[in-house]
Amino acid sequence: MNRVSKIAAAMTAGLWLCFFGAIAQAQTVEEPSYLASRIASGELPEMAKRLPDNPLVIDIPALGREYGTYGGSIRTLMASSKDIRMLTVYGYARLVGFDNELNLSADILESYDVEEGRIFTFKIRAGHKWSDGHPFTSEDFKYYWEDVRLNEELSRSEDSTEMLVEGNLPTFEVIDDLTVRYTWEKPNPLFLGSLAGPRPNVIFLPAHYMKQFHVNHADKATLDKIVTDAGERSWVSLHINKGRYYRPENPELPRLDPWLNQTAPPAEQFTFIRNPYFHRVDDRGMQLPYIDEIIVGISSAEIIPAKTGSGEVDLQARYLRFSDYTFLKSASKDQKYNVGLWQEGKGSQLAIFPNMNTNDETWRTVFRDVRFRRALSLAVDREELNQQFFFGLGRPSGNTVMEESPLYDEKYASAWTELDVDQANSLLDEMGLEKSPDGVRILSDGRPAEIVLEGAGSSEETDIAELLKFYWSKIGIKIFPRNIPRDNLRRRALAGETLMSMDLGLDLGLAVPDLTPNELSPTSQSQTNWPKWGNYYDSNKVAGEAPDLPEVVRLNELFKAWSVSGTTEEREGIWAEMLDIYSDQVFSIGTVNGVMQPIVSRDTLKNIPETGIFTFAPSAYFGTYHMDTFYFDQK
Amino acid sequence: MKTSIPKNGEPMGHFVSDAAFDPHSIEQLNDEQKAYYLASQKKLMWWKFKLHKLAVVSGIFLALVYISILFSEFLAPYDLNHRHVKNIYQPPQSVHLFHEGQFVGPFVYGTKYELNLETLARTYAPDSKKIYKLSFFCSGDKYKFWGVIPADNHLVCVEKGGTLFLLGTDRLGRDMLSRIIYGTRISMTIGLIGIAISFILGISIGGMAGYYGGWVDNIVQRIIEVIQSIPSIPLWLAIAAIIPVSWSPILVYFAISVVLALLDWTGLARAVRSKLLSLREEDYVLAAELMGAKPRRIILRHLVPGFMSHLIASATLTIPSMILGETALSFLGLGLRPPVTSWGVLLNEAQNINVVVLYPWLILPVVPVVLVILAFNFLGDGLRDAADPYA
Repeated sequence: MNRVSKIAAAMTAGLWLCFFGAIAQAQTVEEPSYLASRIASGELPEMAKRLPDNPLVIDIPALGREYGTYGGSIRTLMASSKDIRMLTVYGYARLVGFDNELNLSADILESYDVEEGRIFTFKIRAGHKWSDGHPFTSEDFKYYWEDVRLNEELSRSEDSTEMLVEGNLPTFEVIDDLTVRYTWEKPNPLFLGSLAGPRPNVIFLPAHYMKQFHVNHADKATLDKIVTDAGERSWVSLHINKGRYYRPENPELPRLDPWLNQTAPPAEQFTFIRNPYFHRVDDRGMQLPYIDEIIVGISSAEIIPAKTGSGEVDLQARYLRFSDYTFLKSASKDQKYNVGLWQEGKGSQLAIFPNMNTNDETWRTVFRDVRFRRALSLAVDREELNQQFFFGLGRPSGNTVMEESPLYDEKYASAWTELDVDQANSLLDEMGLEKSPDGVRILSDGRPAEIVLEGAGSSEETDIAELLKFYWSKIGIKIFPRNIPRDNLRRRALAGETLMSMDLGLDLGLAVPDLTPNELSPTSQSQTNWPKWGNYYDSNKVAGEAPDLPEVVRLNELFKAWSVSGTTEEREGIWAEMLDIYSDQVFSIGTVNGVMQPIVSRDTLKNIPETGIFTFAPSAYFGTYHMDTFYFDQK
Repeated sequence: MKTSIPKNGEPMGHFVSDAAFDPHSIEQLNDEQKAYYLASQKKLMWWKFKLHKLAVVSGIFLALVYISILFSEFLAPYDLNHRHVKNIYQPPQSVHLFHEGQFVGPFVYGTKYELNLETLARTYAPDSKKIYKLSFFCSGDKYKFWGVIPADNHLVCVEKGGTLFLLGTDRLGRDMLSRIIYGTRISMTIGLIGIAISFILGISIGGMAGYYGGWVDNIVQRIIEVIQSIPSIPLWLAIAAIIPVSWSPILVYFAISVVLALLDWTGLARAVRSKLLSLREEDYVLAAELMGAKPRRIILRHLVPGFMSHLIASATLTIPSMILGETALSFLGLGLRPPVTSWGVLLNEAQNINVVVLYPWLILPVVPVVLVILAFNFLGDGLRDAADPYA
């Protein structure tokens, strides 16, 4: 026996040991009392039969958490019933998911294998079951692929870029009951990241349930009756509504998430209960999640801080702002809750986007001049903004990655962000924008340099705009802050009406090389600094304009190179260059990032990390922090 | 005296005195009585009004408020946009006269700032070691009086190094008292212009319709119906699109209130019309007509005073709603909004739980709003009674 096979044999033996060990342990582990009656009545089998043969074991001590106990319900508030989709985000059951260090690992899948960056082979856990107890197999992938994705009627609206490489879909194969494979001609770096995203690319559906709504599988007469009874226009809309996975509106849809919605909208309160077939256990063999129920109340966004302060919730972070912290903290003793401070993961809490595609020719030329953008950035006193709004707890930075990202480099954050009014003034002088006697600069066509700054208008935004107005008046640029609804703002920007807008910063504070750098390059019409160039890309060159600024062209090339890159190292290099160009060219002007986000949790609710980053992508808010390990200390 | 009946065909021989008629020949009025019984309409109204003590006080109060808006820059201790970066959310300071039992004149104590690291609350405590005297008619923040004359005089200032925030500061460290004083200027004026326009239109158009009746009335009524059927929100949105973005928010609000006034007169016009329809049948109108008075004179001189009390009541009800409703339009980005400072804007900014719990002094602009609205109501009450002195 050679050495390699010895090691392999030893490993196999080890694996088997672990495996039997887990089963042996699982048999002794108590059942959640929440499910006791359903188990007693025979509706549910015992835990060992509900779990996959090889459940995902969460090593609680390795996570730095404590072992929990079953039970309890978490009350939380959302501002709109559409936001029950946040439970899909918080629950974070993905085929492959990010762990705490933002590395990808198999979650629902037992394992996955990538060859040449283009052949993806997925292995499903044997014995994994949907929340209704039906086995989860390659049939569910096959159903989604052949009957939904490739069905012309159902996929009409779907044209997600993550499944396309140079416009081509992959070939899909079922290897066996538990193995499927997706093969592209060229590498697809987006694919795994999209499966792990906060809004996942769902490539499977419960075939056994959905088939009754599908014209190819159901009996025509029965289906017609279901369509009429449900008040739908056609089987297509019926299928879409019944199979909506991200927003769990259909309580009957079998799912793989830790908690299952029991309430059909419209409702003021949604109850989510534990999934008896969830595929994760802690390392003692107790099935996760620890928490039995999550109750989501719907309330208007303005009163959520007040309700939180009066102790009406057990866990709340959305709709709480840093400015609410003092109030929340002062009521926390009486109402018996903790207020933690996490960080937000935006590239910048608020960023300014000069529209380089504006219709106004004079301004367009000015905005495209890097000296102007740099001057604006240099004139912003970020330290003061930080002190005044965030008690100095944020970090003055450009609109770029945060320290917590593996891609961080100090030069991105500090590029053109040090307050220097003199340099800003001399940059503008150099451009030939002379100051008039009243201190406002004059454009080449004789108009004064007056800019309407359009924003979506939170009160914090209005205040920051007020300060920007003051800072920029020192360099002879006069701005008029104006509030308009966000949709309208993007439409106006695309039409070229907008000169300059302010909005949340880029969603890449926590970027990792395997996530797409699309925000650094014109890829979408909603990017208000270059909407037309973005539109050119996202409409596939039908609409918009081709970028003609050399740096932007380079960003575009880099983005395309990333999209066909095979290895993580290659992607890291591309990211670094893109970040460098973006921050040096100041395509958007950042202010402060790493701003604190209050996290309110009941005193007895444990295992919530003290620090963290509360952001949608990539960490899915509580998702990658394992909300399934939160528990109530019932002592 | 001839007592016999004249013969047929002869004129009736009745007596016509050549002497001037003296209505007071029987009972002579002394000067005092003359002043009372022969008082003009205006005098009567004034007497009646004086009796309503509350109305008089309200009137004086409103007059003072209106005078103050002429001197806002001078009265406010600080400039409107002066941000005191080190004094964010500072609670109101109090003015003292005595320090440790000794009279020092008006002064304020210094403040010690501390950041409560646990709750991240900014706490300010009076520092009784530091005394900053107040002085009057002194130099402070520079401003341009009425936007023209550069000046730096203020009614009250504090010694250098100290701060004087009698009503606290807001989230950017701006003095609330100064903001309220400047806010008066906007709140008490801009909307009044709209009301004036709608009154003029309402009385004259409604008056015409009611007085002439017939086809004039018909046309006016149909026009009113058309105007009333214009949906207001799309109209405001359209205006929002038309108004150039570089207009200052005050100008925008002014434009909006004028447009609103152009739509708002219809209700008043209808009330005026129906009142006139009944009043024009009165004998005194006929008399005036027979004496050859022109419609304009009849309407304004004889008819309008007949329902003056109604007009006054509706005006005093509209003014407070104008002050309160000033921010309703902000929802569409049309109303007053920062950086313009008005009471409505100040109150709008105070609408959240943090303010109620932690910074209650930011709700203080409610006080002038309540006072002014009450004053307008009392004044209106008094005026309405006075407009009908015989009632």
